[in-house]
Amino acid sequence: MTDTAIAASALGKRFGRRGGWALRDCTVRLPAGRVCAVVGPNGAGKSTLLALAAGLLGATEGELTVLGTTPAEARTRIGYVAQDKPLYPQLTVAETLRMGADLNPGRWDAAAAERIVSAGDLNPGSRVRALSGGQRTRVALALALGKRPELLLLDEPMADLDPLARHELMGVLMVQAAQHGTTIAMSSHVVAELEDSCDHLLLIGGGRVRLAGEIDDLLAAHTRVAADADADLAPHTVVESRTTGRQLSALIRPAGPLPADWRTATPSLEELVLGHLRNPGAPALTPDSASASAPDSASASTEETVA
Amino acid sequence: MVEYRIDRRSGVATYVQIVQQTKQALRLGQLRPGDKLPTAREVVEATAINPNTVLKAYRELEREGLVEARRGLGTFVKRALGTAPAAESPLHGELADWAARAREAGLDRDDVAALFTAVLEKHFQGDN
Amino acid sequence: MTALPAPLPSAGPPHLTRWLLRLHRPALYAWTALVLLTAVLLILLQGPFADAAAEGWRQYNSCGFNARCVYDQSAILRYKDWYNYATLATAAVPFLAGAWAGGALLGKELESGTARLSWTQSSTPVRWLAVRLATPAAVVTAGTAPLAWLHHLAWAAGRGRIHSAKEWYDVGTFHTGGPVLVGLSLAGLAAGALAGLLVRRTLPALGLGVLLTGAIWGTVLVLLPHLWPTLGRSGRGYLAAPSGSWTVSQGGTAAHYHVTYHPYAHYWPLQLTATAVLLALTALLTLACFLVLRRLTGRAAAR
Repeated sequence: MTDTAIAASALGKRFGRRGGWALRDCTVRLPAGRVCAVVGPNGAGKSTLLALAAGLLGATEGELTVLGTTPAEARTRIGYVAQDKPLYPQLTVAETLRMGADLNPGRWDAAAAERIVSAGDLNPGSRVRALSGGQRTRVALALALGKRPELLLLDEPMADLDPLARHELMGVLMVQAAQHGTTIAMSSHVVAELEDSCDHLLLIGGGRVRLAGEIDDLLAAHTRVAADADADLAPHTVVESRTTGRQLSALIRPAGPLPADWRTATPSLEELVLGHLRNPGAPALTPDSASASAPDSASASTEETVA
Repeated sequence: MVEYRIDRRSGVATYVQIVQQTKQALRLGQLRPGDKLPTAREVVEATAINPNTVLKAYRELEREGLVEARRGLGTFVKRALGTAPAAESPLHGELADWAARAREAGLDRDDVAALFTAVLEKHFQGDN
Repeated sequence: MTALPAPLPSAGPPHLTRWLLRLHRPALYAWTALVLLTAVLLILLQGPFADAAAEGWRQYNSCGFNARCVYDQSAILRYKDWYNYATLATAAVPFLAGAWAGGALLGKELESGTARLSWTQSSTPVRWLAVRLATPAAVVTAGTAPLAWLHHLAWAAGRGRIHSAKEWYDVGTFHTGGPVLVGLSLAGLAAGALAGLLVRRTLPALGLGVLLTGAIWGTVLVLLPHLWPTLGRSGRGYLAAPSGSWTVSQGGTAAHYHVTYHPYAHYWPLQLTATAVLLALTALLTLACFLVLRRLTGRAAAR
């Protein structure tokens, strides 16, 4: 197992020869064992990135390494759940799991898959077509986790789930991460949905990476400041600034000590994300672009995970 | 056994909430030396928070010498936190007197809380 | 509902074929029923129906010009009608194959996303498609080959005995009574599959599958007379091709007239060359399917 789950460099995907770029210049590295939120507005390129990593699409340009090899080579070690949780409607729940066993010989963890399904109070004899949205998600997750993936790619996994099912299934995912050190990348356009469960963030806007890194590092690298309207924000990197009356409020990346008369606060993850999405011109912050690298506060080895 | 409740709206970092709740349990005697903290698996199953957050909190507690990780066994309480003034201590009595006086002076609950927080901030700046 | 045997925890290859058959079990049942019913009808035609009709014609012919002729007209009509129904059912097979392959086999999977579900299990998209082409091809061949043979027998049983029987070059008769039927069905299957991969939506792909199958059949109809050298006659007076042969062209003037034709002896050469053309076309369509799949999933799909 390598210590890098996903490494992309200048990755780009264009649909059709003349189509627009769904993803461009994407350079990111997701360390193994992390739970990564892939966040961005609808149509930002999140699904494209996940599908590329799952080996479902070929890249138009750039390089993509997944679990130390190509996405196609890593196919048996990747779990993927698409946004609409496709399943064969004519099969029963039990048959769907048996299919998972048959299609993933030598990898299948029948007990784990059945545990996820039975925790949802699902009748194994029910046809998939008769299931509710939350139940479908549960079966789709069981199918993906039964494969014992080292990397789990989830496209909008929690969309159209009620809060209870969302909490429960997120718990299932976190247990997976805690027990097996599974790297998880999940997309959402609602950052609050993922905030507590993820330790890594990848913010995509307009097909480009805007923020990437450990959430704690990203938060530590930014400061919300309030100062007099005539305050000079240079030499700090300004993500967003607004002047109201005599007051200037801004989201900045400090390049050094801040004047004592500025009032400062740590931004929330949501503020950080919204600030960057509202200001597409703001410079991106990714591990390569970070000049003053923040302390690696969130590095956690997954070995000591569970006792 | 302690059960963590994560309040997303509190504005307090999740791992800090775990640290605080563990300390609270130690102070109140719900956790005693030798007790086992819940495993990361148990915590994340119930709270759906990131396992690394739990581990970070446990490392913080370990750094403070309150718990110790025993490889393959779990994380165990090393020492209790007995420093919190019990209900009959003089500090408690003084605070109770002060609260009563504040009320007599016409302050409402929010005023008292604001005042208390401001003083706390001033005296414990930089502490966690 | 037959329960599938519990899978063994072995590390053998993924059982894609078993699950393909399970997913399309209703279609498999319907196909089996169609083949069996048509086969029974063709066996009846070849045996009792043809014998009764031949007897009717024998009675009719022995009447001469006797106005009060008594013969079994209903037996003659029964053979004729049911022969036409059987031909229609058999001729529908290539279209059914095209429609099913485009709609249910691939269009639906690509539309609903279950294709991606399969591609993220432990086998490659290329294997997924290979199984989805090879298994139905085997099933279609296993069904159409006996049908074509029985159809040929049902037709041959009337040849020379039943005057209302179809000529060997009749469109329905020729294309359903030999290996051409197998070739057409396989080409329909491949064309439907290509339609499914191109359109990626159930109903449009179903329609395109049928259209492509029709186009393939039309092409074969146009090409067929030229797939084997014709015989010809020319000379004075209005010549005709020998009885029982398929006139391909005729024309000219009374002074210089010509006619080209295929005698019945060309039946098998024409069947075999047309089948070869269809199989070549099937191979091209199959190649196109894999190229489209590679465009969909990227170069590395095979690994």
